[in-house]
Amino acid sequence: MLNPDINDYQLTSIITECCGGIAVVYSALYKPTDRNVALKRYFVDKSKEKATLIQQDIMIRKELQHPNILPYLTSFVHGKELYVVSPLMTFGSCRDILDRYFHEGLPELACALILRDVLLALQYLHRQLYVHRSVRASHVLIGADGLARLSGLRSAASMMSRGRRRTLHLLPPPDHDNANLMWLSPELLEQNLKGYDERSDIYSLGVVCCELANGAVPFAEVPTTLMLTEKVRGSRPQLLDCSTFPEPSLDDEMKSMYNTDSGVGDTAEGEARLRRVYAARKLSDSFHHLSDMALQRDPEKRPSATQLLNHAFFRQVRRSDCLPGLIGRVKPIKPDPNDMSALLLQQKMSDMEIEKIEDWDF
Amino acid sequence: MDPRMCRKISSSESLPEDENVEYEVSNIMAPQESEENFLIEGSPEPNSVTWLDDDQIDELDLNLDQTNLLFHRVDSADIIYRSKKKKCKMVGKYVMGDVLGEGSYGKVKEMLDSESLCRRAVKILKKRKLRRIPNGEQNVQREIQLLRILRHKNVIELVDVMYNDEKQKMYLVMEFCVGVLQDMLEASPGKKFPQKQAHNYFTQLLDGLEYLHGQGVVHKDIKPGNLLLTLDQTLKITDFGVAEALDMFSPEDTCYTGQGSPAFQPPEIANGAEQFSGTKVDIWSSGVTLYNMTTGRYPYEGDNVYRLLEAIGRGEPAPPPPALGPALGALLTHMLKRDPALRPSVHQIKRHAWVQAQPPLEPGERFIQPRSRRSDELHTSTVIPYLVERHYASAQEYFTERDLRNDMGEGGSRTMSTAELSDGESTQQKRRWHSSCGRLPSCRLT
Repeated sequence: MLNPDINDYQLTSIITECCGGIAVVYSALYKPTDRNVALKRYFVDKSKEKATLIQQDIMIRKELQHPNILPYLTSFVHGKELYVVSPLMTFGSCRDILDRYFHEGLPELACALILRDVLLALQYLHRQLYVHRSVRASHVLIGADGLARLSGLRSAASMMSRGRRRTLHLLPPPDHDNANLMWLSPELLEQNLKGYDERSDIYSLGVVCCELANGAVPFAEVPTTLMLTEKVRGSRPQLLDCSTFPEPSLDDEMKSMYNTDSGVGDTAEGEARLRRVYAARKLSDSFHHLSDMALQRDPEKRPSATQLLNHAFFRQVRRSDCLPGLIGRVKPIKPDPNDMSALLLQQKMSDMEIEKIEDWDF
Repeated sequence: MDPRMCRKISSSESLPEDENVEYEVSNIMAPQESEENFLIEGSPEPNSVTWLDDDQIDELDLNLDQTNLLFHRVDSADIIYRSKKKKCKMVGKYVMGDVLGEGSYGKVKEMLDSESLCRRAVKILKKRKLRRIPNGEQNVQREIQLLRILRHKNVIELVDVMYNDEKQKMYLVMEFCVGVLQDMLEASPGKKFPQKQAHNYFTQLLDGLEYLHGQGVVHKDIKPGNLLLTLDQTLKITDFGVAEALDMFSPEDTCYTGQGSPAFQPPEIANGAEQFSGTKVDIWSSGVTLYNMTTGRYPYEGDNVYRLLEAIGRGEPAPPPPALGPALGALLTHMLKRDPALRPSVHQIKRHAWVQAQPPLEPGERFIQPRSRRSDELHTSTVIPYLVERHYASAQEYFTERDLRNDMGEGGSRTMSTAELSDGESTQQKRRWHSSCGRLPSCRLT
């Protein structure tokens, strides 16, 4: 157990801003043991409803113990902010890795390693009767050991109610920009009396397959309502390679659905380059099969996490394979002495300490 | 219904006068006299088509009646329908769906938040209609004010309020619910719920009431018609039109006006008391609600409002039937005490034996499912067909009687779910889904 005291943590750099600006993630050094940790600082004041979600995130993570789920170390309140401490995931989230280093998607073997870890986490979560409801690359974090860990448990929901298993019916709590909807299954988005269960996560995993392999998020470029009707009518996103993405003529639908939403896609040149990459490569049939199975419209037909773990796709993984070697260009998060804002913040916090009044005399 | 929605054309074939029919006749090709009717399917030559407007079709019908000895033979491929356009309409960021219900003030429709994709219900209030209702505008204002502050799992959430000055309309955007307890009761055998089910709703009602009374709000119109259920069976107290926020600084919960529904009114209001305890009004109404949910009857009945109010004001309530069991009987008697001071508070009710222990489902009893009059069993979104129209505008607009029959032949009379349609991935099926939007099976063809 780590001490819930800000003075035991030395901030080393800013990793990212997240949750629509209400939280910032720092890397920090836990001074008593020299351990690298991630410190997520929430500005709880900004929204009361968010506070209950953060609370839920912590409660669920305390309850769950699995090597592929981001562990919870401790949390504390300092000033007006809430700090949640987790182990440092050195390589960041898969979304960051895609955005910074792999616009065209990760190598297939890397996808296999990551997806296997995510499936192990889902298998565990589903056995505990939880539906994660926000399986997406930004919630898959890669540690120094190369293991992928699932985070983002604030939208998880239990299927247990009064000691009985039930189906869920409502949308997960909305995130600030509603981006999470792109990963959600058609039956979840439909919000009808039939409801949804853990197989909804399997659909999201299918979307993550495409996200990891293609670099771009399926449906990212279409209006939200069109994404809904497309999903409800059963159109499935695909892995992009020479079999699904023929070079010369692209129909408009494909174009709009698979434009990258950041970086490269902005320039015509980058887009053309991406297309050439897709058209030139060939992903294995078993990868296509896996994503197709997971993305089936009818949840009854989707395999479970356990079934997917036995899928032929994962047979290509050898024991000696390790993720950091496959994604060599990704720079691990290191303390950045030039990170002015982190230093400034450190300054601010020490200022607050001076203001701290120890003895109140009433 | 609008007679133009579907019109009989030839005497031998007809479409039913059903509200669900979404076709209107767009044109009829001039019937050919000859027996050999070799019209080619597909696009007819322009000069072979006579375009008729509705009046002319009326005349045509008339003519047919007058000369009813002569039947024109019309090939089924010559009868061309145009799918009634599901014109996608947006109000703010919301996409409008079908009507869920109708009240004196206006309609309640389904909506979809186009950003969060959350299903919503919207109460559309027309200023013109509101003026005709006593205290109409005032009640709406009060409802909005109250709902803006209230936030509880068992109280309906007001999500958004929009105005359209041009149309003189107000839109109250609320949480989406699948049914009203009143409708479910009316559709159930004996107009009552199994005790287990009633217990579930009643305990949720108590949670909601506890919150409201804690916030100093008296609802004053608790009844099954104002209790809604969400998709996950959460009960929501709705309609705060006659609710009242009590004076926070007064130790009493005195109210002066009562406008609730007669059958659920306590004796003190029926007798026209000038002032009375507000929270105890809700206790009484909740008692009548529980009585009604478990017996299918009311503690007081009357041929008309005056008789009813007279009975409530003077007489003792009909004792709870012994079949309910002693625990529930005692609870109802306690809640329906004529003297408000003797009625229990929400806290006391929560500690009552019947509330504490969940009654079992008796043999032969079945849970009543929420069913609304218009939607399907799964309460699938009614907005999706409008979105389909919006996003795939190239959908087939014209189709013939023959297409319709062929479709019916394949699909039979069963309802095709969107899932079924989309898993078979033929484009033809998709095209048909465009044109029919899942409504086809409601057509009965002779």
